[in-house]
Amino acid sequence: MPGHRTKGFCASAVALALCALAAGCGGSGESVGGGKAVLRYTWWGNPDRAERTEKTVALFEKQHPDISVQTSFSGYDAYKQKLAVQASGGDAPDVMQLDYRQIDQYASGGVLLDLAKQKTVLRTAGIDSGLLATGRVDGVQYAIPQGRGTETVVYDVKTWKDSGVPLPRAGWTWSQWASSVRELADKTGKPGATDPGQSEDAFEVWLRGRGKALYTRSGELGFTADDLARWWTFTDGLRREGAVSPAEQTTQLDGSVENTPLGRGKAVSDTNWDAPSSGYLAIVPTGIALAPMPSGSDGTPGQYFKPSMFLGVSAHTGHAKEAAQLVDFLLNDPGAAKILGVTRGIPVNETIRTDTAPLLKDFDKTVADYQASLEGKLKDPPQAPPSGDNALQTTFQRDYDQVSYERMTPREAAENYVTEAKAELRS
Amino acid sequence: MTTTAIPTARERAEATTPKRRPQREREGAAWVFLSPWVLGASVLTLLPMAVSLYLSFTDYNLFDPPHWVGLRNYTQMFTEDPRYWRSVLTTVTYVVIAVPLQLALALVVALALKSMKRGKAFYRSAFYAPSLLGASMSIALVWRAVFNDGGTVDNLLGTGGWVNQPGWSLLAVALLTVWQFGAPMVIFLAGLQQIPAELYEAAAVDGAGRWRQFLSVTVPMLSPVLFFNLVLQTIQAFQVFTPAFAVSAGKGGPADSTLVYTMYLYDRGFVASHMGYASAMAWVLLLVIGVVTAVLFRTSRSWVFYASEGDR
Repeated sequence: MPGHRTKGFCASAVALALCALAAGCGGSGESVGGGKAVLRYTWWGNPDRAERTEKTVALFEKQHPDISVQTSFSGYDAYKQKLAVQASGGDAPDVMQLDYRQIDQYASGGVLLDLAKQKTVLRTAGIDSGLLATGRVDGVQYAIPQGRGTETVVYDVKTWKDSGVPLPRAGWTWSQWASSVRELADKTGKPGATDPGQSEDAFEVWLRGRGKALYTRSGELGFTADDLARWWTFTDGLRREGAVSPAEQTTQLDGSVENTPLGRGKAVSDTNWDAPSSGYLAIVPTGIALAPMPSGSDGTPGQYFKPSMFLGVSAHTGHAKEAAQLVDFLLNDPGAAKILGVTRGIPVNETIRTDTAPLLKDFDKTVADYQASLEGKLKDPPQAPPSGDNALQTTFQRDYDQVSYERMTPREAAENYVTEAKAELRS
Repeated sequence: MTTTAIPTARERAEATTPKRRPQREREGAAWVFLSPWVLGASVLTLLPMAVSLYLSFTDYNLFDPPHWVGLRNYTQMFTEDPRYWRSVLTTVTYVVIAVPLQLALALVVALALKSMKRGKAFYRSAFYAPSLLGASMSIALVWRAVFNDGGTVDNLLGTGGWVNQPGWSLLAVALLTVWQFGAPMVIFLAGLQQIPAELYEAAAVDGAGRWRQFLSVTVPMLSPVLFFNLVLQTIQAFQVFTPAFAVSAGKGGPADSTLVYTMYLYDRGFVASHMGYASAMAWVLLLVIGVVTAVLFRTSRSWVFYASEGDR
């Protein structure tokens, strides 16, 4: 009798252990829905980009009846956090949109698939080799750039024109920008711009205009606390005058156009990336236009052409070939290009860029014209930021919050940031 | 002693059962019944805890293998990280605001319900409902909308959006917790109903008014329940995450004013990918909660009255 009991116990224990194992493995198995390969594809963006992406994906599914694509998107900040959690758990989506800041970290972390292995279905011949190289880490093609973007001053055209303040022009400097936003605030009664102090991107443009960079070639901090204190003193001064948005508005920025002061009708202009600015069209009824970012006082341009985003495939995907087919379709298919327009930046496939250029209309044409106006005038882009930059972007916003809520002086906050950044980059 | 003619109850019981099963066999059965829990506790709790203790002495970015750094995470936390200390201060402020407010409200409502003649069941459920809903993300998001600029509170009081004012944002988070007073309320209500009515009658005969009855009968008789709720809610409050995360839109802002301990822990672990540092923070939190609970138990000797101990 005792023997039986022990056996029963063992059997049930084994059964339970198996259940636990089965449950644990469920996520990583092949995901098959009705005999189809199911891919997960995630990106960040605005509703305009989402609508066009959904249409493109529907076209892809039509052409590939054996593949079904589950999509999901969110604002950049939320996307960044979610992807980090998924990737660390080995559950990264099959196809994911990546930022320049994420590639280094995810490539060296084994999250991304070597795309050269799928070159039979994923064609890269049409992409400029210099641009293509931005998706390589240690010589391996982990990601492929999807578009080219640059920063812009995006503004409410009607309000600006009606105010009588001269419109922004190419080659304007930061001090000219400052007097414009001051005048706008005077004439229109609302801040002339979003406070750019919280944006590491805007700071980079300002810094490059002074001939410096965020990071050195060896991945160390390329500026000092003095530089940052000067930038924050500049923006904080404008905030105190009411020329740029107040802290209560600035703190709500989360990478979505809806939560910018311009999007809420609480400021006349904003600094943003050119392609995502299409999102303002739906929420700024009076219309928007794009102007170049201000330059340094000697005319040195700070903005640059940057691979606006990349596509990568998860190293743990069960459908590497299908995922590569989707990436190829998004990059190289003329039908897809027609729907996507420049929602992710100017297309990287040269043939597609030339073919679609005359077909672009509305805001897509605005972005294309804007980039054309800067062609040949900008300096070379910096190399991919070191992996700590991903976290530092958030730290930058947090530290500026301390300044704009007047809990720290620009100098104190700048010194804090530099200390934190050095620790982050060291580890 | 010689045995008496009449067998004791125990002897009778032993005589009727055929034979006691060997100790081991009985343990086996116990293990079978315990196995779901044991498996869950060891695989889902103890093992991850052991791993996190190990990771707290390493530098681990989730992707590369952990790298042993000894006590560096702990020294960095205590000596080089001002944001860490800000998050500690924020959490303590939160605990000190949210726990007493929530318990006071729970007690007041429980007292009111106790003396209600009609509709008690309805109100009890109605007040309990937020405890069921409150933990959900959707309610926290609604909360953010209510306290945002242009939201309900702004329109009614003209205060502007609390969630964007560093002086008020933590209060908005605390109020979300206070609003979920239903759980301690139900426990208070059960405690109140246990107090024998004759104690109140005796007090009334002695000429005690309502307030006097509350202080001299209700409070001492309820003190074990009060203590239980206090310990439970304090432990939970130290680990507050969801309300702070949702109400600050995942940022712990403005100006770090809602960056409570677990939010900063999450930020270090999942945003900055410093899992070693985050693990170290988690262990410090565990120790602190342990110490605070021990202190509460120690002070309880002077104010908690257990009727079973009789008159001391």
